[in-house]
Amino acid sequence: MSEVRFHGRGGQGVVTTSKILANAFGRIGQFGASFPMFGFERRGAPVTAFGRFSDKPVREKTQIYNPDVIVVLDPSQKSSEAVFNGLLPGGMMLLNDSEPTTDISHDNLVKIGVIDANKIALEEIGLPIPNTVIAGAFAKLTGMIDIGPVTQALDDYFQGSKLSANMVCAKRGFDEVNIIDL
Amino acid sequence: MTTPRNDSQIKVITGNAAAAIGAKLARPDVVAAYPITPQTEVIEQLSLFHATGELDCELITVEGENSAMNSVMAASLAGGRVFTASSSWGLVFMYDAVLAVAGARAPVVMVNVNRETPGIIAVSCGQQDMISTRDSGWIFTIAENCQEVLDQVLMAYRLAEDYDIQLPVMVHYDGFYVSYLSEVVDIPSQESVDQFLSILKTQPERTKLVPGQKLGCGSHGILGGYLELRHKHVSAMERSKAKFDQIDQEFMDQFGRSYGGQVEEYCMEDAEVVLVGSGSMCGTIKSVIDEKREAGIKVGLLKLRMYRPFPSERIIESLKGRKAVGVVDRSLNFGFKGGPIYTEIKAFETQMGGAKLVSFIDGIANTDITKANVANMIDMTCDLAAGKDVPEVTWVSYPEANEGV
Amino acid sequence: MSEKKKGKLSPVIDYKKHEDPFSKGVAFCPGCGLELLIRFIPQVMGNDIVMTGTPSCSAPVLLGQNNQSWHSLSYFGTLMTGAAANATGLVRYYNRAGIDNTVVCFNGDGTAADIGFGNMSGAAERNEPFIYICYDNEGYMNTGIQKSGTTPYGASTTTTPVAKGSRGKNLRRMNLALKMAMSKIPYAATATLSDLGDLAKKLLKAKEMKKNGFCFLHVFAPCPTGWGYDPAMTVEVCRRAVKTNYFPLWEAENGKIRMTKTVNKPKPVEHYMEPIKKFKHLDDNDRAILQEDVDYELCMLGGLSILEKECVLPEAAD
Repeated sequence: MSEVRFHGRGGQGVVTTSKILANAFGRIGQFGASFPMFGFERRGAPVTAFGRFSDKPVREKTQIYNPDVIVVLDPSQKSSEAVFNGLLPGGMMLLNDSEPTTDISHDNLVKIGVIDANKIALEEIGLPIPNTVIAGAFAKLTGMIDIGPVTQALDDYFQGSKLSANMVCAKRGFDEVNIIDL
Repeated sequence: MTTPRNDSQIKVITGNAAAAIGAKLARPDVVAAYPITPQTEVIEQLSLFHATGELDCELITVEGENSAMNSVMAASLAGGRVFTASSSWGLVFMYDAVLAVAGARAPVVMVNVNRETPGIIAVSCGQQDMISTRDSGWIFTIAENCQEVLDQVLMAYRLAEDYDIQLPVMVHYDGFYVSYLSEVVDIPSQESVDQFLSILKTQPERTKLVPGQKLGCGSHGILGGYLELRHKHVSAMERSKAKFDQIDQEFMDQFGRSYGGQVEEYCMEDAEVVLVGSGSMCGTIKSVIDEKREAGIKVGLLKLRMYRPFPSERIIESLKGRKAVGVVDRSLNFGFKGGPIYTEIKAFETQMGGAKLVSFIDGIANTDITKANVANMIDMTCDLAAGKDVPEVTWVSYPEANEGV
Repeated sequence: MSEKKKGKLSPVIDYKKHEDPFSKGVAFCPGCGLELLIRFIPQVMGNDIVMTGTPSCSAPVLLGQNNQSWHSLSYFGTLMTGAAANATGLVRYYNRAGIDNTVVCFNGDGTAADIGFGNMSGAAERNEPFIYICYDNEGYMNTGIQKSGTTPYGASTTTTPVAKGSRGKNLRRMNLALKMAMSKIPYAATATLSDLGDLAKKLLKAKEMKKNGFCFLHVFAPCPTGWGYDPAMTVEVCRRAVKTNYFPLWEAENGKIRMTKTVNKPKPVEHYMEPIKKFKHLDDNDRAILQEDVDYELCMLGGLSILEKECVLPEAAD
């Protein structure tokens, strides 16, 4: 089982990112479980979400303290200690940032994926909502799942032209993420 | 007659969506809806189903929870199948009507998404809302995960509308940890749900409030009739225990899933040490039990699926002769040291063949019932089994409390 | 009336097309305005109405005590907090199930103006197709005469007593009917027991108009026990309330307000107050305040009734 922690802010689609990935794992006969933690629901408030992905049913209903992967949708949190809390050795990080490279380092971090998801989202859907770009980039960075089920999963969350635009977002996230081995 | 069917659909959905889909599949006549975090998604989903025509019902977008419960009560007494959903302060705001529904024996079905209540306004998980309304005369069941939410909603209609029961049923599940949890759910087909509920149509017709008929309901029963009604209510609650077990069996026949009825046992055959829990914590407890079992510790879980009526017979049967039992409460029993479920199980201590009991309080206001916390609880219960000194009550995530208790 | 018609029965008899579903000698006080009203409603609207009601003076008779109700109507006794929501649930289910229905949500002013106002307002906003009737006795009479939102200025009640430092209620009454008429509902009206023909017409109009949604009737129903007047005077008190414009009779169809009885040369409000003990302690200054309130409400009604004709909308921007 892989445990993934998502960090972002209300309005960025943090919860949707975690749902899309759980959905994608469900589509390949595996098991995904994700849930967010937040207070009053509003734009701009910090949101954390948790995802567990496994080939066996996921039973744990508890927050994630020792993630294998951290996903940071809000670049202002990229250096925050809370983001790296409990990261396991061999850990990976996916970062939404306009800078293509990064000087982030952490003892347990072996791989970083950086992508300007806001820019891609602006180009494709006209809004700086990075969630679907990040979902695509996640597939590439971790190799835990193909891009196919990720784009198929979007079907449950978007319709019409938004669906097709977000599918492009996910594919571009997969293709354009800059992966840095540390 | 009934065999498991292969016409279900596998989808990744939230606990709230599972509740809404369960309600939709039951084909309610009247749904009343008012939003509150973390329940809101339930009524959003139902409103969307209604808007797209997937759900053919009267949808009442009420101006408050009190009206939600009052409108579904009346619709139920008029003869309709009804559904509503709430949480925490919403449940408290409808409490007078919650009591009236029970007194009227209206077979209302609702979900309550457990959230901290009362006192400090906390948008966080906790079962205090369930505890604060437990003496309302409703049947309470508790679901662990998204699948069980959907399944319990369907079972709830079978229980509520059973001619021998005719009581309202509230399905509880944890806010955040289940309400917002996205996971794989096997969604049964409309045909199979229709078949599962069809037995309700073969019963004698219940009393209904029909225009022009000389029938009143909500009468003032001041003298003898009152005691008779109360006793009938209590008797129906008693009957609902065995009925819930039976419905679980029939659910197995129809859908291929069984949960054990009033209680679910996990690794209990040879367990010397047991944790008693309810709701989302049980998933975490199961995963820790697997790890402890690998280390040779004979620990099991007794999960309460029914909370009112209190499944005392099944609990006694299950716990009798164990060495030690730790009861985990996600709420407080103001005025008692131990948690509410602990205190209730403690009442049957003399029938448990010497099993020792301790109370664990954890998970209040989103304090997470972590795997480490569960392991800690199991270790302390093992210590109790080994004859060591263990405090009667432990606030697992707040050690400062334990010095004073 | 009977004197004027030379011994002929009142034309109101023509409106009473149905049997009185209530037994004789029910548990209301002598001279109860509520009793006159509650017997009148099914006689005009039919015995196949479904009535809902709450703990109130109506409860002992409507809900029954000791397992006996004093009538043969289909009835739902419920709580004051959610009365309009109960009626909503009934009417929604009946309509869905194709069951013909006239649901009458029958409540006192305590439910309508105070504790149940929110859900009544909600039902009006959703335009639920039932008839809400508020019988207004200006206070909580069943619990022993306490102040409500419709208790008028100066009235003595057990929670607005006359004592050293207190001269009865020191707040003005709520105009409930006007509030409801402003709710964009198909029909709102006031009525009282001195003008039964007017009341009957309004009941029948509500029964017709409810197909378009929420209908509200505000019926002035005095209480000899709570107000302290001779029980034989109930209808006279109603008549004086109308003649002084203390309780004007009007209706609003789709928000259009129309007086159903215009009072020429109205008597001062003092004439209405005179037989009623709850006003006895008031002086000229207090009576002037009450008169001012009556005049103010009449002006508001008058203003609203000409609103549509006179109102000039500002020119729209390009």
